[in-house]
Amino acid sequence: MSETVANNGHKKLQEVQMVGIVKRFPGVLANDHVDFDVHAGEIHALLGENGAGKSTLMRQLYGLYRPDEGKILINGQERLFYSPEDAIEAGIGMIHQHFMLVPSLTVTENVALGLKSTRLFALDLDKVERRIVDLSEQYGLKIDPKAYIWQLAVGEQQRVEIVKALYRGADLLILDEPTAVLTPQEVEDLFKTLHQMAQVGHTLIFISHKLYEVLSISSRITVLRDGRVVGSRPTEGATRASLAQMMVGRPIIQQYDRPAVVAGEMCLDIQDIYTKSDRGGDALKGVSLSVHAGEILGLAGVSGNGQRELAECLGGLRPVRQGKVILNGKDVTRASPRERIAAGQSYIPEERMREGAIKEFSVADNFVLEDHGKSPYARGIFLNLNAIRSQARSVIDAYNVKTPSLDTPLKNLSGGNIQKLILARELSRHPKVLVASQPTRGVDIGATEYIHLRLLEQRQTGTATLLISEDLDEIRALSDRIAVIYEGKIMGIVYNSETTLEQLGLMMAGVTEK
Amino acid sequence: MSDLFTLSVLMGIIVSGIRLATPYLFAAIGETFAQTSGVLNLGVEGIMLMGAFSGFYIASTTGSLWLGLLTAAVVGILMGLLMALVSVTLQAEQGISGIGLSLFGLGLSSLLFEKTIVSVVAISGFQPIRIPILGNIPYIGDALFDHSILVYAAFLLVPLSIYVLNHTPIGLKIRAVGQNPQAADSLGISVAKIRYLTVSFGGMMAGIAGASLSLALIDLFQENMTNGMGYIAVALVYFGGWNPLGVLGGSLLFSFVNAFQLWLQVKGVQIPSNIALMMPYVLTIVALAFAANRARQPTALDKPFERGES
Amino acid sequence: MKPVVFRVSLLAVIATMLLAACAPAAAPATPTAAASASVFKIAVVFPSAHNDAAFSQSMYEALLTVQKDMGGPSKVEIAYSENLFNVPDAAAAIRDYASKGYNLVIAHGSQYGTSLEQIAPDFPKTAFAWGTSLDTFQEAGINNVFAYQADAEQGGYVQGVMAAMLSKSGVIGITGPVEAGDAKLYVDGFKQGVLATKPNDKVNITYTGSFSDVSLMAAAATTQIQNGADVLTGSSQSVVGAIGVCKDKNVLWFGQQWDQASLAPSIVVSSQVYDWVPTLEDMIALVQKGVLGGKGYTLTFANKGLVIQYNPSYTVPADVKSAADAATQGIIDGKITVQP
Ligand SMILES: Nc1ncnc2c1ncn2[C@@H]1O[C@H](COP(=O)(O)OP(=O)(O)O)[C@@H](O)[C@H]1O
Ligand SMILES: [Mg+2]
Repeated sequence: MSETVANNGHKKLQEVQMVGIVKRFPGVLANDHVDFDVHAGEIHALLGENGAGKSTLMRQLYGLYRPDEGKILINGQERLFYSPEDAIEAGIGMIHQHFMLVPSLTVTENVALGLKSTRLFALDLDKVERRIVDLSEQYGLKIDPKAYIWQLAVGEQQRVEIVKALYRGADLLILDEPTAVLTPQEVEDLFKTLHQMAQVGHTLIFISHKLYEVLSISSRITVLRDGRVVGSRPTEGATRASLAQMMVGRPIIQQYDRPAVVAGEMCLDIQDIYTKSDRGGDALKGVSLSVHAGEILGLAGVSGNGQRELAECLGGLRPVRQGKVILNGKDVTRASPRERIAAGQSYIPEERMREGAIKEFSVADNFVLEDHGKSPYARGIFLNLNAIRSQARSVIDAYNVKTPSLDTPLKNLSGGNIQKLILARELSRHPKVLVASQPTRGVDIGATEYIHLRLLEQRQTGTATLLISEDLDEIRALSDRIAVIYEGKIMGIVYNSETTLEQLGLMMAGVTEK
Repeated sequence: MSDLFTLSVLMGIIVSGIRLATPYLFAAIGETFAQTSGVLNLGVEGIMLMGAFSGFYIASTTGSLWLGLLTAAVVGILMGLLMALVSVTLQAEQGISGIGLSLFGLGLSSLLFEKTIVSVVAISGFQPIRIPILGNIPYIGDALFDHSILVYAAFLLVPLSIYVLNHTPIGLKIRAVGQNPQAADSLGISVAKIRYLTVSFGGMMAGIAGASLSLALIDLFQENMTNGMGYIAVALVYFGGWNPLGVLGGSLLFSFVNAFQLWLQVKGVQIPSNIALMMPYVLTIVALAFAANRARQPTALDKPFERGES
Repeated sequence: MKPVVFRVSLLAVIATMLLAACAPAAAPATPTAAASASVFKIAVVFPSAHNDAAFSQSMYEALLTVQKDMGGPSKVEIAYSENLFNVPDAAAAIRDYASKGYNLVIAHGSQYGTSLEQIAPDFPKTAFAWGTSLDTFQEAGINNVFAYQADAEQGGYVQGVMAAMLSKSGVIGITGPVEAGDAKLYVDGFKQGVLATKPNDKVNITYTGSFSDVSLMAAAATTQIQNGADVLTGSSQSVVGAIGVCKDKNVLWFGQQWDQASLAPSIVVSSQVYDWVPTLEDMIALVQKGVLGGKGYTLTFANKGLVIQYNPSYTVPADVKSAADAATQGIIDGKITVQP
């Protein structure tokens, strides 16, 4: 076996301390005197809202960024990491939020990438492959070393990332939001692997903003808020409420009120639609859904199973190849976005910076993007700037959008505030049908809570809502019925009150019942 | 017409085709490395001209062809480094900076030519070397094994580069950097270092491509003598699907069809010369568009890399 | 991208392009004498390099001769721009020279005609010349354009006669490069000369489609020779590629537009050379008298604008030489007519 790669010579990593870490980006203090430490055999959760500075902190430990202030001690000795190479050398591995794999290479090639070969000029892929097989057996990580990355499901890709780090002799493994892309079953498998690794003496840092995950996997929890450490405590004894309080700075709603509403007439009827993906294959293969007035229909599924394409079809941004879409009794299959708006549909797109708004435009201009041709915003061919501003002002206040002024370019607002602005714009038209695609992705808990309450309020007033989300918690918290999409097909539609997490998980993995 | 399909014509096409393909091979294989690592270098044309000029100038003043060739290689490396500086370090738009480099090479080689050599003169370049034994095989010996050292080198470059790109650690790094620079960076591979390496290697090959014209195939320098070959070389990389074998196929197809259309004309086949002249371009595009394999297309091609942008 | 980095890189790109743009545009060929009324200022725009051993060089050398004859740089000032194969660039240069007060602006390329027709009326005090062409745009009401061309077919014919007599294989090759303009006249004349002498000889023509593709020109010559040709000729600056091949293979070559003997003294028999000096002198005299255009010039054997320049290093057999002289005289006398 090639010994050049195993445990590349460093002393076993027992303890990491980060002391007084400060990291600034233009206009942002991402880490503000952060103290953080972790010990061998520990699964340490790093908890915090989006933008709290978790990734930034860990990227410094991994040598991707250098701290502006503070120091890093490995086994009590100060170390300076100039690049990931140095961190790898010290026994640190990192699995990034976005996987760092080369799709056109095989698993083995990805693992061998950047390593010295045992042969003079040639790659020693056969040796690497043998060792991958050993490692995957040792840790129960099923992977085919000969497969190309592009052939692998997300969960498998994550296993490749883990093997890649282990192969490099990582004693400490940083996992940056590893569960975001996984089905509930895959999350369970991952947790098993992590426990196994901790038992044999590996150190794990688990980054997340999901409370229940953190509670179920970790042995210790450090909470970051606005770049600062709020506290660090053993997981034993911690509760959802106490962690949420630390994370957000105030108590959060544990469970929404969802008073029973009698579903009304069918407002949105999707009949057996097909569409192509950007790569040419079928993204949707006969999707049928119906949404009734006063109902929230949640569409759950693992990322990339046709959700985006479905949303774009409904928004009028992607052609429907076959099938029909009926909106309030009107056939809108081939209607333009404008015609759909006229027919009473509002649309909150997934890529809010690309489809929902123009980031160079001001807050006020973005507000009238769709309705600029109508009274009261237009007088003849001219825009009525006063009307625009006063209406924008009042809605912005009502929706609690934090912006320095109406003239601020949208790109200077945080994700949560942009999303609230789009929501404000869409809901101020009192739509009969609302298509919301990932409405809270990348949005902080405060704003998320706010958006959720608004969606429930709409339900109360009889809006038919299709909520497309990859966040199963969100789906479960808001939906009346839940549909699961897998590879462009609906696996099943169930009542939220009657289903279980396990049933949903199986459907998300493409397993049909019976 | 009937005597078009004879053995001697076929041999003639092969000899001419191989000679015509030589500069394309050097330049396009070099460019394959640059593009595989994610840098589109449109400056090949200008580097070829500078290589052709500097190689010729040094060879004619010192009398040493090898010194000339070495100079062309060094000048190619320097211009490759300039391209890398602008596109990798300064992260300028690659297409524009490449075209700038081409114009620069055209202008500077013309200017230097006027200031030094002044008017066209010929030298005695690299002579054909007949390979022992193989060179004595009837027909095949003449067609394939009686060329100058640079012609052999160009063709040997193909298996060599296939080996380097696919079977060595550095080749793996080059491919990774072109496909997912973030991933490579996260494994401690310096994206910039790899790109500097490939772009200057590409520059060296372009310089040698130019010298293959002025020192082995034509044996003289004339202003703008590459006449757009550098751009065709860049296109051949696309058409060859970023695979040296595909690049070889493209170069040979283009050159053979070009040699063939000359024979069509010589034999008095009645087709307008404009149509004959278009044949290599049209056929190469058609053939390779059908055979094109996008699997190796570097996803990060033409995109500067900056850490932390994921 | 960071704004600073972007600006720096933009600067670098611009600097690169500027350098590139400046290099080929040459400065005046002679130091500018103090601007005095007695200096006659001539500017010329070339499609290829001024020293291309072909079309452009023939004009450039003629201008230098005229300058010397008229008393040197203090009397005649010459400026040129070269490698302007791109017509809009050439048009800009022509306009630039005219507005700078040059007395005579020469557009030395057939492709520049349309541009000149638009520019000339804007500068009624400037004389322009355009070649090769016979159209002075007088029908369009323009009076300040001279036109000039060469009856290239005449020298082509004479060299064709020699080629036929020198060829042993009876196969003669012409390497184009394009089926138009000056090159076509020459090629047609050459072919007539061969066939008038040896009606059964074979004349094969290959076109490369480019004035500057040296590599393809070399391949064309190789192809011709493999096909049995033992005498070759061709036009444009790219023939240097063909001449190199002929030298290697010891195949005879006839030059065109410029004396090409120095490129390969052992195999160049002769070259048809253009002498623009009389044409230029006549034009200058007219301009000094206030006539700014309207006259067309044609180089012929009769007016000594065309000359067959023999290569001193190559001994032409006496019978070949006398046949060539006879053909030349026949053309002058009108006994031989060469179809253009
Ligand atoms: N490369 C960068 N350039 C500028 N700002 C950054 C960069 N990376 C992160 N930030 C900013 O730093 C803050 C912390 O980001 P991050 O560490 O990614 O948070 P988390 O991982 O906790 O969601 C955010 O405001 C983010 O916008
Ligand atoms: Mg993060």
